[in-house]
Amino acid sequence: MTPAGPGIVAARVSLVLVVALLLQMSVAARIEVFGAMGDLMLCVAIMAGLATGSDRGLGVAFAAGIAYDLLLHSPFGLSALVYVLVAYLVGSMQDTVLRAAWWIPTVTAVIGSAIGVILYAVFGTMVGEELIGPELVRIALVVSALNAVVAHPVLRIVRWATDSGGSVRARAIMR
Amino acid sequence: MSPTRRTGRSRLTLALLVITSITVLTLDFRDSAPVSAMREAAATVFSPLRGLADSATQPFRNAWGGITDYDDVKRENEELRAQLDEMRGDVVRQEDAEAQLAQLLDQLDIDWVGDIPRVTARVVAGPGSNFSRTIEIDKGSDHGLAVGMPVLTGAGLVGRLVQVTSNRSHVMLITDPDFAVGIRLVDSGATGTARGQGEGEPLLVDTGLEKGTEVEEGASVTTSGSDRSAFPGFLPVGTVVESLPSDDGLTTDLIVEPLADTGSLSFLTILLWTPDP
Repeated sequence: MTPAGPGIVAARVSLVLVVALLLQMSVAARIEVFGAMGDLMLCVAIMAGLATGSDRGLGVAFAAGIAYDLLLHSPFGLSALVYVLVAYLVGSMQDTVLRAAWWIPTVTAVIGSAIGVILYAVFGTMVGEELIGPELVRIALVVSALNAVVAHPVLRIVRWATDSGGSVRARAIMR
Repeated sequence: MSPTRRTGRSRLTLALLVITSITVLTLDFRDSAPVSAMREAAATVFSPLRGLADSATQPFRNAWGGITDYDDVKRENEELRAQLDEMRGDVVRQEDAEAQLAQLLDQLDIDWVGDIPRVTARVVAGPGSNFSRTIEIDKGSDHGLAVGMPVLTGAGLVGRLVQVTSNRSHVMLITDPDFAVGIRLVDSGATGTARGQGEGEPLLVDTGLEKGTEVEEGASVTTSGSDRSAFPGFLPVGTVVESLPSDDGLTTDLIVEPLADTGSLSFLTILLWTPDP
């Protein structure tokens, strides 16, 4: 298959981010599970790191975070910072540690989501937002569980958007 | 590409993106105009798309709400009917009291909050993430709204506007730890500062009252409306549920339950009032 050009990849990624943002604001943010809501944008960032390795995934994660920050009244750039770090961590693990298997996206979503939620709370508190509290564990558990559920479809969509489905590792992860 | 080269390039990309994120964060903290303009532009562009997405996903949300909240909604409905009967009688008494207060304030040349023009807005979105505490309403600067304006429900003060675009605004709720309001105890006239302590938590009021001062449970609390206050006076805030010694042990703090239920907001009233510069 002929690889998609950079323009097509950029257009696909933009489309995926806009749709993910709409689903986050209109669905995920309106449905509370045990007092917490899902974080689809974090899932996109994690799957971008997993699908493309630690390189191209960083750009997708940064764009997801910046787009999310633009619509929230929260520190602008904080989600982008956290998503980039989580995508890098996931991508590095994929490059060096992880072995291809069907369960990798689910487990990665669980671990990456928990790390992302905790990092956001820690960095948010560092910039004066008072985000660390007893509810943090509950939020991390809910976000991890919900992102685990949607990990596989999100990974497929991110693979299509970033045109990273052709690599041997990506194919193996998706099996 | 070799793993080493790839890792090196990734680290460089990571460093650049982290630096960019921190730079943007810094600009936001300094209330940089470009950041505000970007946010406003994004909200304006995204607003119609979000309206479509909200309409398209409404049946799904309703179905989820019907499954998970049916018993709560039924019980709440019964409680609200009982409260409504009680409040019908209160309304008549309150209107009489307000009329008398307005006359007195007019004689003293003090602004009466009932005379302040107001705009009603619908809540279109709650917090967009687990760590965002603002809610979004469907009115903005096109309707005369501005940052800092007080936001009320029928029960009392519920927050203030912290971000305003042409047709949408964000409301910081009274329970937000960053929220502070000057208050006055209706009975004693004692003043203090109430601060939010998080969603679902009561307000903590630093009164400056002497240690050991007893404040009756259920005492009414309104905004103080003192000079340079961020809110006009006489807005209902809440009722006292507990008095306790302050952290330094020298004064008395109060725990105040807000009158407005921040957990179920649908329509809000915005007072077109901004503090004197």
